[in-house]
Amino acid sequence: MNGIDLRQVTRSYQLGGESFDALHQVDLHIDKGSFVAITGPSGSGKSTLANIIGGLDRPTSGSVNVDGNDLAKLNDSDLSNFRNRTIGFIFQSFNLKADSTAVENVALPLIFAGIAPKLRKARALECLDRVGLGDRANHLPNQLSGGQRQRVAIARALANHPSVILADEPTGNLDSARGKEVIEILSELNRDGITLLVITHDLDVASHAQRIIEVHDGAVREGRVAS
Amino acid sequence: MRKADYLSLSLRSLRRSKVRSMLTIFAIVIGATGITVMLTFVTSVKNLTVASFVKTGQILQIQVSQSKDLQYDPNGTNGGHGDAFASSGSSANAPKPLSVELENKIAALPNVTAVSAMLRSRNPFLSHIVYKGKQWVIEVVVGYEPNGVIAPTLVAGRTLTMADTHNEILISRPYADVMGYSKNYSALIGQKFILQTNNGYTGAGATLPNKLPPQVQCEQNKRGCFGGPTSGLPAMNIPATVVGVLEDDGSRQPLIMMPLSLFVGIYNASTPNNVRYDFQNQGNRGNNLGNNQGNNQGNNQGNNQGNNQGNNQGNNPGSNQGNNQGPPQGSGTVIGGWVRPTTTEFLTNNGGFDSLMAKADKLENVASIANNIERLGVSTTTGLAALNDQKAQANVIGLVLGALGFVALFIAALGVMNTMIMSVLQRTREIGVMRALGARRRTIRRIFTIEATAIGFLGGFIGVALGSIFVLVAKPVITNMVKAGSLTGATFTVPPWLMLMVIAGTSFIGFISGYFPARRAANLDPVEALRYE
Repeated sequence: MNGIDLRQVTRSYQLGGESFDALHQVDLHIDKGSFVAITGPSGSGKSTLANIIGGLDRPTSGSVNVDGNDLAKLNDSDLSNFRNRTIGFIFQSFNLKADSTAVENVALPLIFAGIAPKLRKARALECLDRVGLGDRANHLPNQLSGGQRQRVAIARALANHPSVILADEPTGNLDSARGKEVIEILSELNRDGITLLVITHDLDVASHAQRIIEVHDGAVREGRVAS
Repeated sequence: MRKADYLSLSLRSLRRSKVRSMLTIFAIVIGATGITVMLTFVTSVKNLTVASFVKTGQILQIQVSQSKDLQYDPNGTNGGHGDAFASSGSSANAPKPLSVELENKIAALPNVTAVSAMLRSRNPFLSHIVYKGKQWVIEVVVGYEPNGVIAPTLVAGRTLTMADTHNEILISRPYADVMGYSKNYSALIGQKFILQTNNGYTGAGATLPNKLPPQVQCEQNKRGCFGGPTSGLPAMNIPATVVGVLEDDGSRQPLIMMPLSLFVGIYNASTPNNVRYDFQNQGNRGNNLGNNQGNNQGNNQGNNQGNNQGNNQGNNPGSNQGNNQGPPQGSGTVIGGWVRPTTTEFLTNNGGFDSLMAKADKLENVASIANNIERLGVSTTTGLAALNDQKAQANVIGLVLGALGFVALFIAALGVMNTMIMSVLQRTREIGVMRALGARRRTIRRIFTIEATAIGFLGGFIGVALGSIFVLVAKPVITNMVKAGSLTGATFTVPPWLMLMVIAGTSFIGFISGYFPARRAANLDPVEALRYE
């Protein structure tokens, strides 16, 4: 099965003895290769939704299927593998290793995949080229601007040829010009066939998406797509 | 994930917090250095003990003695039960004497290569050793069968052999020192000495006349003055050749060692049988009483008991009584001729040998031989037991010192654990990122355990290096300090197995200390970890 398929997904947390559903019986299908923006107010459950799709979190009940991977059936090792090869994560605060150069940061998921040093360096440089940072490969994160850092993070997400990129507020820490650059790169990747899920408050960003999913109090509904 | 990548990821994080890593490693270094130095010291001493035992062949010796409470004496010089000439009244529970028969039985036991018997005397049959006109008092004389079983440690010359039948002797270092040869022991080798006997000597080489000169009146406690019927006989000079100088065993005991045959020759005194005195002392008895008592006392203290005993056993009661109550004033005539006990009789009279030393063919047989000998009704002491004792002693010291080192290492381990907990805490977010990028729990756990193990390894490595340097620097100092002592020749180098053990040990400590923080890191919820500020 292609694409992302959520059936009756509930994610409950125990808070002070009371159960609270971050997601409540969510049914959702996202086509492969689509660009979807997930919006909603803070605490609505949109991050939980992304984490469950990305295999960082497991639903309390219900089933999640991403490009044929039934996540409920995967153990820690397989789920890690799934994150490593199928999902590319992009975070609001970039989360680059401060003591590692751009190319080393990009190579990190390749290390976890067990790829030989030469191959992974080549692939990391390729990914950096893809985001326009081929000339900054040996810079440390603190020698790069915010936009450049996020582009390194995108290159890192790309390293293992993921089929899904999950970006959680990728422009949240950037000014609008840099944010726009980042969205453009992401859109480009989407055009190459990668399913792109962007969690965002920013309506500008959402407007680039083909589809908007609004999360409210643990439930999803289709949002309006800007024309 | 590749092994090399684990290592580089772990080391990278060590390098990132340099000061913290350094301090943690330093704690390990202290413990590792301490253990290296202390255990090196203990093992060198232990090895030295073993080496010296093996070198002198002492390890193959089995000392046979009458009673259990004897100390093992590798040179065979201090063994035995004191005076060879102590009276051996054979009461019911007297220990079994070490007879020639017993020696032969032991020699016939399987795996025994040879047995050497030893006799020892403090009895001043011999009074002085004379060299170049100067004389020194003779105190202890030891006779043994020089068949290679007893191997005294020498500072010069050679040991005695069975071929030494021409009055060859060994003298101990204290003699050589007082003779002024402390810097040149070998100058004494081959030199002619004189062993001067006391008056009344009737051992080998003595002229035994039928007419006895009047007995000597000794002053009380005068050293070397013999009373008794033969006391009027002159002293004798026995020529001897020094072939070796004995190492001092620490007692500074002036000692002469000689072949057992020579020893028996000198000490197996002839006694006159039935002496008739020209002037009986009946009338003079009262006159002589004070004098006599003093004389008798002097005799007893001078250990002239053997002589007295011989008299008691061999002579007629009349003469004996006269002797006991005071020496006849005139010269005597030997009526029954001179009697010299056979060697066996001599031994029996003296309660047997002082000790026997058996030699095993192989180290493995020492214990079983000792067992077989004990079945003959005597006790044994082996170098094995003494060696094990010394080893055990060294082990105890090592254990105590080692325990101190381990306490240091234990504290260091707490330091490693603390560092790792801090590291995990500090890198919580990074752990979340790594998990998101596809790191498994196992991967995270390994990265942290490897980091902790590396701290242990580096600490151990540096500790061993520092310890080796310390040993190298301290070696001349220690060697100097114990030059005269028993540690001469100790190697004082860090044995390779110790190096490996310390490094492996500290690495393991690092691993253990890092394991729990690492497991905590691995079990972090990635979502929580990513949210961690």
